[in-house]
Amino acid sequence: MINKLLKTWLCVCLICISLTSSFGQGKQTVSGYVKDASNGEGLIGVSVYVREAETGVVTNSYGFYSITLPAGDYTLVYTYMGYQKTKQSVALTSDKTVSIEMKDESNELAEVTISTKKDDENVKSIEMSVNKVEMKTIKKMPALFGEVDLVRSIQLLPGVTTVGEGASGFNVRGGDVSQNLVLLDEAPVYNSSHLFGFFSVFNPDAVKDVKLIKGGIPAQYGGRISSILDVRMKEGNSKKREINGGLGTIFSRLTYEQPFAEGKGSFIVAGRRSYIDVLAKPFLNKDLRDSKFYFYDLTGKVNYQLGDKDTFYASGYFGKDVFGGGDFAFGWGNATATARWNHIFSSKLFMNLTGFYSNYDYSLGQNVNDDSATDKFDWKSKIISTSIKPDFTYYLTPNNQITFGGQYIRYDSRPGTATAISEGEETNISQEPRYGDEWALYAGNEQKLTDRISLQYGIRYSYFRSLGPGTEYDFIPGKKGERETPVIPGREYGKGDVIKSYGNWEPRFAVNFGLSSSTSLKASYNRTSQYLHLLSNTAASSPLDVWTLSSSRIAPEKADQVALGWFSNFKENTYEASVEVYYKKLYNQIDYVPGSELLLNSFVEGDLLSGKGRAYGAEFYVKKNKGKLTGWMSYTLSRTERLVETINNDEWFPARFDKPHNFTAVAIYELKKRLSLSANFTFATGTPATFPTTRYSVGDIPVGENYSGARNNSRIPAYHRLDLAATLKSKKKLFGVGEGEWVFSVYNAYNRRNAFSVYTRANPDTPLRTEAIRYSVIGSFIPAITYNFKF
Amino acid sequence: MKKQNHIYIIKHAVLSVFSLFLLAGLTSCEDVIDLNTATGPTQLVVDGWINNQPGNQKIKLTWSANYFDNSAPKPVQGAEVTVTDNLGNVFVFEDLANDGNYIWKGTGTDTLGKVGRTYALSIKNGEDVYTASSEIKRVPKVDSVVYQKETLPFNPDKGPKEGYIASFYARDLPGEGDRYWIKPVVSGKIAISKASDLTVAYDAGPSAGAPSDGLIFILPLRQAITRDSLYLAGASVGVELHSITPEAFEFIKQVAEQGSNGGLFATPVANVKSNVTNTNPNGIRPLGFFGATAVSRMETTIDPAKARPED
Repeated sequence: MINKLLKTWLCVCLICISLTSSFGQGKQTVSGYVKDASNGEGLIGVSVYVREAETGVVTNSYGFYSITLPAGDYTLVYTYMGYQKTKQSVALTSDKTVSIEMKDESNELAEVTISTKKDDENVKSIEMSVNKVEMKTIKKMPALFGEVDLVRSIQLLPGVTTVGEGASGFNVRGGDVSQNLVLLDEAPVYNSSHLFGFFSVFNPDAVKDVKLIKGGIPAQYGGRISSILDVRMKEGNSKKREINGGLGTIFSRLTYEQPFAEGKGSFIVAGRRSYIDVLAKPFLNKDLRDSKFYFYDLTGKVNYQLGDKDTFYASGYFGKDVFGGGDFAFGWGNATATARWNHIFSSKLFMNLTGFYSNYDYSLGQNVNDDSATDKFDWKSKIISTSIKPDFTYYLTPNNQITFGGQYIRYDSRPGTATAISEGEETNISQEPRYGDEWALYAGNEQKLTDRISLQYGIRYSYFRSLGPGTEYDFIPGKKGERETPVIPGREYGKGDVIKSYGNWEPRFAVNFGLSSSTSLKASYNRTSQYLHLLSNTAASSPLDVWTLSSSRIAPEKADQVALGWFSNFKENTYEASVEVYYKKLYNQIDYVPGSELLLNSFVEGDLLSGKGRAYGAEFYVKKNKGKLTGWMSYTLSRTERLVETINNDEWFPARFDKPHNFTAVAIYELKKRLSLSANFTFATGTPATFPTTRYSVGDIPVGENYSGARNNSRIPAYHRLDLAATLKSKKKLFGVGEGEWVFSVYNAYNRRNAFSVYTRANPDTPLRTEAIRYSVIGSFIPAITYNFKF
Repeated sequence: MKKQNHIYIIKHAVLSVFSLFLLAGLTSCEDVIDLNTATGPTQLVVDGWINNQPGNQKIKLTWSANYFDNSAPKPVQGAEVTVTDNLGNVFVFEDLANDGNYIWKGTGTDTLGKVGRTYALSIKNGEDVYTASSEIKRVPKVDSVVYQKETLPFNPDKGPKEGYIASFYARDLPGEGDRYWIKPVVSGKIAISKASDLTVAYDAGPSAGAPSDGLIFILPLRQAITRDSLYLAGASVGVELHSITPEAFEFIKQVAEQGSNGGLFATPVANVKSNVTNTNPNGIRPLGFFGATAVSRMETTIDPAKARPED
C-alpha cells in the first residue's frame, strides 16, 4: 500500500517538474529572502507585488519568495504590516536573486499611516479562518499576573473558547483541546501549559510569529482535526548581540541572541523560571520548607546560512513543572527538538526538510528515592513522536504555486509505567506500551484563475498503523453505554506486526472571489483526521491525561468543515472586517462510560464510548490596524454539540466548552511615545452543567440523582472580565545603553468572581445538608508589575 | 495525612498541590449559592445490606426528595418486604417501628446470610413490585489492626496535631476479582458519615486495572480506617471487611466519587447505578442498593506503649 502510494506520488512530482520546465520557456524567475533590517529575522507573509505585471506572491514560513515573469524591467513592492514599504527595481534578463531587508516602521512613528498602504492581505489572500496576532500586540495586551501569554491571547480571537481560567489549552470551533495541532518550530507540543492552564509554555521573548488556522486548512498540515497553532521561534539576531529580559510576578526571563560567522549564522537562548517558591520559602514553616513548586522552560535555536541555497536551523524546547513536598513528587514537561534544512534547488523550487523529536511526560511518586521505605509508588507516563517531513514549494508561474511533500511519524506511547511496593511486596501495575506510525503524502496548488478568482486545492492521504509488540483485547459487549469486560488473555502481537491500519483521504479546498479591490468572498472545505487521542473525562484537561493511539477499538477521529466568509477593508486598510460562518461535523468522538477509569487501566478501551459531534456558528470580527488606537472586537455566535448513544437519552447535548455567545474586545492606545495603555474585555455564556433533581441517602451520605438522565442541561452564570494594563518606557537609558519598561496590569479589574464550575455537594461539616457551590479559580482582581529590559 | 499515593485520589493530590500554590498568593474560592433545579418524581429508595452475622438484619426504605430538601427523608410505610435465598428459604422483614426500617429478627446464633448463597429481595408497595438480588462472596480474615505515632506538620482543622494513624492488615484471597468494602469502626460502631469514608478494594488494590491479586491490602487501603483526623490514645478503633459483588463495588465507588467531585478536575455528574428494578417497566424506577455481604471484623484499643514509633 505504502509502496504504491510512494510511487504514485513520485510520478506526480516528476510530472510537475517536467511540466514546469516546458512552461518556463522565455521566462525568468526572481527569488530571494525578505528579512527584518534590525535583526535579520526572516519575515513570514510579506506581500511581494510586481507593479508592472499586477501580480504578486507572499513569503513563506522562512521568508522566501519566488516569482516567474517574462523578461523585462520590473518594480517589486514589498509590504508588511508594521514595516516600511520597500521598492526594488529589477532588470529581469536572467534568473535573479533579490533578497531585501525591511525596516520597522516604529523607527519613524509619525509617518506610519502614509508608509504602508497595501496591508490588504486578509482580503487578497485565499486564506480564511486564519488569525494572526503580532507578538508586538500580544506583548502590549493586559495579562494574568502580568505574564505575556500566547495561548491566553489566542483565546480572545473569534471562534476560540476555553473552559475557564486554569484550564489547559483552548477550543477551536467546537473542537476538543486535543484536536489542536500546536507546533513549535514544526514539532508538536502535547501540553501547552505550565501550572495546569495558567501560563503557556511559549516564552514570548523567543517567539517570532503566531498563526492560528481554524478552517480551510492547507494540505501540508495534518494529524489533528480542529486547528493548527503554528508558532515560529525567533532565529536570533544576526546583526548584533541582543539581551532581553524581565522580572515579573511569576516568571523571571532572560533571552540572549548573537550572530556568528559574520552574520551568516545566529542563535538565541531563552529561559524562564517561576520563583514563587523562592519568595515563599522564608514564610513557610519548617515542615513545609521542603515543598517544591516551580516551573521553568528553556528555548534555543541556531541557524546558519551556507551559501545562497542552503540554510540550516536547529531548535529545541525543554520545560518542566515540578511540584512536591516531603516524600511526594509530581511533575510534567515537554521536550522538543527540531532540525531543518532549507534548500533552494532552483529559483523556483524550494525545499524544507524537517526532522523532529517531541516528548511529553509526567510522573507521580511517593518515596521514589527512599531506599529504606517499605511502601513506595512510582508512576510515569510519556508519549514520544519522532518524525521526518519533506515539504516542497514549486513556484510554477505567478499564478500557480504548487506544494507537495510528505511526513512520517513514529509514535511511542507509554500511558503508564508504574510499580507499587506495599510492605516490601512489589507489584507492577504498568500498562503496555503502544506503538504506531503515521504516513502522509500531500500535493496542493494555489492558483489564480483570473484577477478576481483564486483557488487553493489539495489532497492529503494519511495512513496509520498500530504496531506490535502489544496485546489487544476483545471486549464482551454488555449493556450499551456501560463498561465492557475484556476477554483474557488478549491477542498477542510480535514486534513490528501490524495490529490495525487505517487510511484516509483528506481533500482540502478554498476559493477567493474578489468583489472589489477591498472586498472579497471566500469559501473553504476541509477534511481532517487524527490518530492520536487524549483521554480526559474531567472539566479541565489535566496534565495527567493519557494520550493513546488508534486501535481496533478506537477509530480515527475525523472532521469535515465548510466555511464561508466576507472580508473587507475600510479607510485605506485602517480597518479590516470579516464575517465567517462555519459548519463542522466530527466523527468518532470519544466519550466515557459512567465511572470510567482512565488512569493505569490496561482495559481502558472497555470504558470508552464513541459518538459524533457538530459545531456551527458565525464569527464577526473587526480590527483596527493603524493609528494611536489599535485592537479588535469580535463576537461569535456558536453551538457545539455531541451525540453519544446512551448519554442524554440518545439526544444531542452541548459539549463541555459550548458557549453560544462570546464577545471580546482588545484595545491598545499609544498615549505618548513612552506610554501605552491597553484593555481586554471578555463576555461569554456560562459553560453547561448537569445538576441533580433528586436527593436520597446511602447510609448517612446524601446522593444526587438527575431523574431525566440529562447531560449538560443547565448552565453556570455568564463569564465576564475586564483587564487593564499600562506600559511605561523608562526615560533614561539603562546603564547608558539599554531600554527598560514597566508594565502595570490589573487582571479581572472589577473583581468579579466568575464561576469556573458550579457543583452540588454535601456540606463537609454537616454532611446531611446539601448545597450548591460556585467554584471560582480567580476570586479577586489581580494586580501585577513587570519590568522588562533590552540591551 | 499519609493517604497520598492512591490512584483514586491522584486528582486530589494534584488539587492539594495546586492549593499549596494558591496559598502562596493566588485566591481561588468556593461560595455557597442558590440554585434552582427541577424536581423529579418521588422515587422509592432502598438502603438494604444484609450479612452473614448473627442478630437482626435491616432493610431501610424511604422516599426521595428534591435535591436541596434538607429535611429527614420520609419512610416508606406498609410495604411487604421479603428476602428469599436460592434454597427457597423465605425471610420476612417487618416495619416494627413504622419508620421505614424493615427488620428480620435474628434468633440465637443463626444467621440469615451464608457465603455462596444468592438472596433475592422483593418489595411490594401498593401496585409496585421492586426486586433485586445479591450473592454473598468470600471474605478473608483480618490479621491485625496496628497504629503508629504521628505528628502533623500543621495544626489540623479537626482532631489533634499529635496522635495515631491506624491501619489494618489482611491478605486478599488468591484468585482475581474479589471485591471488598472496607468500613472503619470507631468505639464499636461503623463510622461512615460522609463520602470520603467510603473505601472499596478490588483484590488488594483500588481498582481492576492494576493487578494486586493475593497481596496484603496496599498502603492507602490499609489506612482507610484512619478517617479525617488522628486517633488519640485509648481510642477504640477497628475494621469491618465486607465481601461485595461487582455491582456493589461500582455502586459504592460511584457514591464515593460523586461525593468528592468538584473543582478544576470535576467529572460530569453521573447517576449512581441501582441494582433494584421496578417490575413494571413503565413504573417509576427505584434508587439505592440491596447488597449481601460476608464480614470479617477486628478491633483494638490504642495503647501508646504498643504503638509503632513515628518515622
